[in-house]
Amino acid sequence: MANLKELRNRIASVKNTRKITAAMSQIAAARLRKAQDAVIAAKPYGDRMRDVIESLVGGIDPAERAAAHPLLATRKVERELLIVLTADRGLCGGFNSNIVRATLAHIDERRREGVTVEVVAIGKKAVSSLRHAKVPLRASHDAPTLATLVTLSKTVIADAIAAFGAKPGERFDAVRLLFNEFVSMLSQKVHNVPMIPLVPGETAGAGAREPSYEPSRAVILEHLVALAIEARLQQAMFNSIAAEIAARRVAMDAATDNATEMIADLTLVYNRERQAAITKELMEIIGGAESLKG
Amino acid sequence: MSDTAIKLDILTPMGAIRDGIDVPGVEVPGVLGELGILPRHESLITAIVPGVVRFREGGNAVKLAVGSGFVEVKEAGRVIILCDRAVEAGGVDKSAVQSRLAEVRSALERERGPIEAAEFRALQDERAWLEAQLRL
Repeated sequence: MANLKELRNRIASVKNTRKITAAMSQIAAARLRKAQDAVIAAKPYGDRMRDVIESLVGGIDPAERAAAHPLLATRKVERELLIVLTADRGLCGGFNSNIVRATLAHIDERRREGVTVEVVAIGKKAVSSLRHAKVPLRASHDAPTLATLVTLSKTVIADAIAAFGAKPGERFDAVRLLFNEFVSMLSQKVHNVPMIPLVPGETAGAGAREPSYEPSRAVILEHLVALAIEARLQQAMFNSIAAEIAARRVAMDAATDNATEMIADLTLVYNRERQAAITKELMEIIGGAESLKG
Repeated sequence: MSDTAIKLDILTPMGAIRDGIDVPGVEVPGVLGELGILPRHESLITAIVPGVVRFREGGNAVKLAVGSGFVEVKEAGRVIILCDRAVEAGGVDKSAVQSRLAEVRSALERERGPIEAAEFRALQDERAWLEAQLRL
């Protein structure tokens, strides 16, 4: 039987925890709005950039793409670079662990195929988990915020492009990205998408009359390929930020509910114990009085 | 389609800076030099480099520093400027930009790595963006 003081302390400590989780949930709720707006605001840019690059690349015969731009060249993959996007902080449900698990599964699979994999880890959680799993890290960065997002995406992509274009033997033949998509308040979806070489989607190049490209398709392609790849990463980062906050909101709500339930259970036990103690004391007093009468 | 105005959108990853406003014309920093777009322009896509976009909005001349991207002119009299960053004339802290530019320039001079290295390209990119802001 737990004693009363222990129970009281336990209840107080759970109450404190509940205060923290409730506050975290409220903070997440307040920040979520802004992050969601950012996802929506970023979408027209990302969509338009994708459409234009797809119609540009889609108009080129697949066999000639490698000659048109080095970042369109599909090679046999011997070395692969993974960009892994997580958060800096935990307490957001499965947000970080889902990405890390998907990354490790992907690396396992690639290694069985004889492909060497290195990782660019973004977010302190990815850095620590992957380092712990002894995954070779090419670079590590802190998670993006709305303020640092554009600069960080440029740094990462510049490095990835350099890695893709390095000397044979040192170069990476493909760059992929793992991130959480913000699907809704309650769900995030882990995506594992190819970044480099840039491959247009199925619908690319169909229909729509081509506008005139000034000065030429090649010059625009040269100018836009890196930007289009950056734009993809930026979209992923906006999604990841919103998804992290949503996941934290849900996790902290659940934690607050659990704490409330726990407090109710503990209070019940506490009251029962207290009553038992009172009853016991009364019995003793009555017993003492009885024996004095004796 | 109007003969006196075009609809202008300026989109960046951080959101739309201008969304479908009517302007009499717009100047953009094209990859081959400054480019003026007036109503009834033929449809066109061209790349833009870091520089200054100018247009008139409600009687006021507006200047924006923009990063790399492209401009798309549609036959329906719509102009879409996509750029990776954009800032209005009022939003630039020129002294901060100037001191950062000095740092970037000296870093570029010290840079001895290969010309296609990631750091070198990132520095060049930043230099172009800082210079564009100073041209406002």
